[in-house]
Amino acid sequence: MLYRIRHTTEYVYHSRVSHCYNMAHISPRDTPRQQCLSSRIDVLPGAAFSASRTDYFGNQAYHFEIQKPHKKLVITSTSDVRTAVQSANLEEPGMTCGEARAALMDKSDFESLLAREFLLDSPMIKASDELREYAEELFEDGKPLLVAALELTRKIFAEFTYSPAATTIATPIHEVMATRKGVCQDFAHLQIGCLRSMGFAARYVSGYLETLPPPGQEKMVGADASHAWLSVFIPGTGWVEFDPTNDCMAHEQHIVTAWGRDFYDVTPLCGVIYGGGENPVLRVSVDVARI
Amino acid sequence: MSQTLSPSQTSATEELRYRANTELADEAVTATGDLKPHWTYLLDSINELGPKAFADRQSKALRILRDDGATYNIYSDPNASGSHTWNLDLVPFVLSSDEWGRIEAGLLERAELFNLLLRDIYGPRDLVRLGVIPPEALFAHRGFLRACQGVRIPGDHELILHSVDLVRGQDGRMLVLGDRTQSPSGAGYALENRNVMSRVFPSLFRDSHVHRLAAFFQRMRAKLTSLSPNQSNPRVAVLTPGAHNETYFEHAYLANYLGFHLVQSDDLVVRNGFLWMKSLDGLSRVDVLLRRVDDWFCDPVELRGDSRLGVASLLEVVRAGNLVIANPLGSGVLENPVFLRYLPEISKQLLGRELRLPSVQTHWCGEAEDLSYVLGNLENLVIKPLYRSPDSRSTYGPELGKAALQQLAARIKADPTQYVAQPVLEASHVPTFNHDSLVPRPAILRSFAVASNTSYTIMPGGLTRVGLGERSFMITSQAGSKSKDTWVVASEPERMLNNEHIDEQPGTREADLISLPSRVVENLFWMGRYAERAEAALRMLRTTFMMLNGEERISNLAQNQLLHAVSMLTATPPAAGQSSEEALRGIIQNGLVIRSISGNLRSMLYCADETKELLSSDTFRVINDIRDALTTLDRNFSGSLASAPEEALDPLVTALMALSGLTQESMIRGFGWRFMDMGRRLERGYQISTAIKSLAVPVLSESDQSKLCEALLLSLEALISHRRRYRARIGVPTTLDLVMMDNTNPRSLIYQIEQLGLHIRALPRSKTQLHELPADERRILECESLLKLSSLAELSQADGFTRSQLDELMKKISALLSGLSDLITDKYFDHRETSQQLVHSAWESI
Repeated sequence: MLYRIRHTTEYVYHSRVSHCYNMAHISPRDTPRQQCLSSRIDVLPGAAFSASRTDYFGNQAYHFEIQKPHKKLVITSTSDVRTAVQSANLEEPGMTCGEARAALMDKSDFESLLAREFLLDSPMIKASDELREYAEELFEDGKPLLVAALELTRKIFAEFTYSPAATTIATPIHEVMATRKGVCQDFAHLQIGCLRSMGFAARYVSGYLETLPPPGQEKMVGADASHAWLSVFIPGTGWVEFDPTNDCMAHEQHIVTAWGRDFYDVTPLCGVIYGGGENPVLRVSVDVARI
Repeated sequence: MSQTLSPSQTSATEELRYRANTELADEAVTATGDLKPHWTYLLDSINELGPKAFADRQSKALRILRDDGATYNIYSDPNASGSHTWNLDLVPFVLSSDEWGRIEAGLLERAELFNLLLRDIYGPRDLVRLGVIPPEALFAHRGFLRACQGVRIPGDHELILHSVDLVRGQDGRMLVLGDRTQSPSGAGYALENRNVMSRVFPSLFRDSHVHRLAAFFQRMRAKLTSLSPNQSNPRVAVLTPGAHNETYFEHAYLANYLGFHLVQSDDLVVRNGFLWMKSLDGLSRVDVLLRRVDDWFCDPVELRGDSRLGVASLLEVVRAGNLVIANPLGSGVLENPVFLRYLPEISKQLLGRELRLPSVQTHWCGEAEDLSYVLGNLENLVIKPLYRSPDSRSTYGPELGKAALQQLAARIKADPTQYVAQPVLEASHVPTFNHDSLVPRPAILRSFAVASNTSYTIMPGGLTRVGLGERSFMITSQAGSKSKDTWVVASEPERMLNNEHIDEQPGTREADLISLPSRVVENLFWMGRYAERAEAALRMLRTTFMMLNGEERISNLAQNQLLHAVSMLTATPPAAGQSSEEALRGIIQNGLVIRSISGNLRSMLYCADETKELLSSDTFRVINDIRDALTTLDRNFSGSLASAPEEALDPLVTALMALSGLTQESMIRGFGWRFMDMGRRLERGYQISTAIKSLAVPVLSESDQSKLCEALLLSLEALISHRRRYRARIGVPTTLDLVMMDNTNPRSLIYQIEQLGLHIRALPRSKTQLHELPADERRILECESLLKLSSLAELSQADGFTRSQLDELMKKISALLSGLSDLITDKYFDHRETSQQLVHSAWESI
């Protein structure tokens, strides 16, 4: 599938910002099932200095510095991306949970060794008994890991309520567990936490999801949203993506921006501002169109 | 066992002989109790000197250290400041040249290995890929900064500085306890120790043929300068977290010794992909940073978001190749003690051989085998956290009780990857001076390596620290350990290594006077103001005491005016509506006045700390005197008006005079000096006009008037001049002539204003097409004209109970001067808006 994505982030400040330094993760990266054909970032007011680079995880990071005093910052990323379905599927699920756990500890497989980075605690995700207990009945040693991971995706989808009001940008997992409410980031963090607590490597994926309008209606520009899901490492198969917010494996409609240990590694826009007052107003709009 | 002499038997011929504990390994004494050859000359000389003379030298050393401002801050100290004079024991740790050669070769090899390790960690990570180290050993360490992936420094060496803590075990071998790669501290203290030793024991030092340290620092300067991406005019700066940091003395000392700028976070700013220092004349580019801030704190955009010690976007400047930081950001990961566990394998992989210098045996709880060993032997082990930080320290098993051991075991089991364990080592002993005798103390040696040409250069010796007790195993400066100089002694005099040619560009200092960080200039300005404010108040207080207790009785009215002057000059007005003599005496007696003065002096000392690198050691001696006088003042000054209380103030006035004399005589006439002097002139002008308002404006009886004029003259050191010049009863016009109009009197008002005018006209100006005078020049011109156009007769004219013209003039001048201070502050000092994170996140503690 070929998409054009426009992702606009707007900050309106209560008082003047004299100067700012920012880092953004808003350009789609290449993955085994995705290719970014072109990408452009526009910043208003104009950036005095900017630079792009590939970061530790292979994501595109964009840095900019604004020297002009401003009360409104608009940053727009426009990209053309070709996506395909994941090669992993239920017909050939690969290793069982038991095999996968053992293979991860295999010292001779460098992919497993590197994947173990995503087994460890990360800034926003800590393994716990609670998370392990929540998920472990699904992960019997003899069951294929892919099947079990998909079942966990379903369990989270079924037992948690999608509730945009329930959480700020980052809610601790134990709170999500307690309220059974959250948004896509929370569900992704939750499933990653469960997987790591059981000894599987999992990472956080940020990106976009193409939404289709109800039949007979025109699609509204900007109605799409940025999205988040996760992927699990299955030795011998590779990284397989699951979306607990939508109860599915990621498809062609899942467009990847960046991945990391958790949200912290791929924050869309962060940085330091001088001035600006308290509580700026943030507006994000995303438009995913087929071309 | 020889008998110990009791103090009463002490005589001039008493010996100072070292008595080792022969049960434990000793540096100076063999197992059979004989002195080792390389210690003989030193210990014989000390013995000849005897305990008394040695103690004298020890106090001399302490004085020098104090004068140099050599301090070390201990965070846990209950004292408000926690600042301690650096602790130096005068018996050096002696190593023979032969043995040092072997240690040095081992250290070189280790520095090379850690350089390769750093490259691999932020490059291909082959060690992980090939299974040489378990992935968790790297990925679970908080010092592994993913943002630093792929950042490279041109040249063979990424790791510029490498330090190692060494001890000699009971088997006689030197053993590495750990590596310091974040921002290794101690080299400056080692240099200061050497400096003190060579002054306190000049001939002993000369005759011992000790390897010199200077070449190491020359190499360090050459290396840091050569790292600059900007070849023509490299500017190197030392980045310090600030005066509260434990090793701040060293930051200032090294910056000075190496000829680099000392900067703090607020002195720096990133613009257009470069790093700049904010200085009086704008921004000057910085090419190399010697970093004394932990890497994690260096960039709030990509690293720790709430850090106030770094510079936003610093890492991007490094990535762009426009700045080199030593040690590079991310190098703290090499301090991970887990690497010691795998070092033989790592070394084989990266160097092709095992290291010559062994490391202490290390168990990592992330390995199942190690974990069970550690849990079974906790009471004999030191447990260290993977990541060193002020709130995670080593735990010593032998010190713990049963319950504490169980808690420790539970902590380890909950998060095994985060702990390592090492055996508790008994370090070999060195002779250490302790209350009239030489006693054995365990020693730890920190070595220093700096990248240089194709390899590393090792400082000959290093910084030795010794435990407080004979068996203590916790030897850190934070634990209050003493330090020692380390002598690598040659059997014959060292060839003049110092003269070897070191490729270094001649210093380029042309614009450096102007490019002081604005923070430093601001502190100098305020140092001048506070010093002057305290001095004026002290003088007036002293004068008042003398007049009140003088031989001639003065009326209550005049007494009141004197007390009023004290109250005005110390900004301590009595409670509203109370102007009675009693209330005025109250502010002195209840300590308000003294508190105000000592408050100003404390602020002045703070400014001096912030500008430490610009002040000479003579200046520091005076500053120490002020610090001392302050403590006694606070302690002893009861405020009683009886029995010559002014005496207690004399030492402070003298010290302040010495300070101002020193700045006049030994500070280069750069912008630093100008701003300090401007601060002084401004404050003095302000204080003179305040004193005139209190003492010359009110109209009193002739004898009272004359008394008050005398007080005014006395407080401004002009009484004698007046007597000689006018030879008459002291009157208002002649007094005003001397303290206001006479521009040959350095304590007159006009003198301050003329000097201020000279300074202001010499400051850097923005170029403008217009011919109007800048606001600050206009103001000072107005002051000058007002004074010069006044007539003494009119000013002295009584107008009922006051001299209203004089009052008016003084009010105008005070207002102009305080406005001028605001103008200078706005124009020349940095007023950065406070920054905030765009996205607030409470998550960044990992």
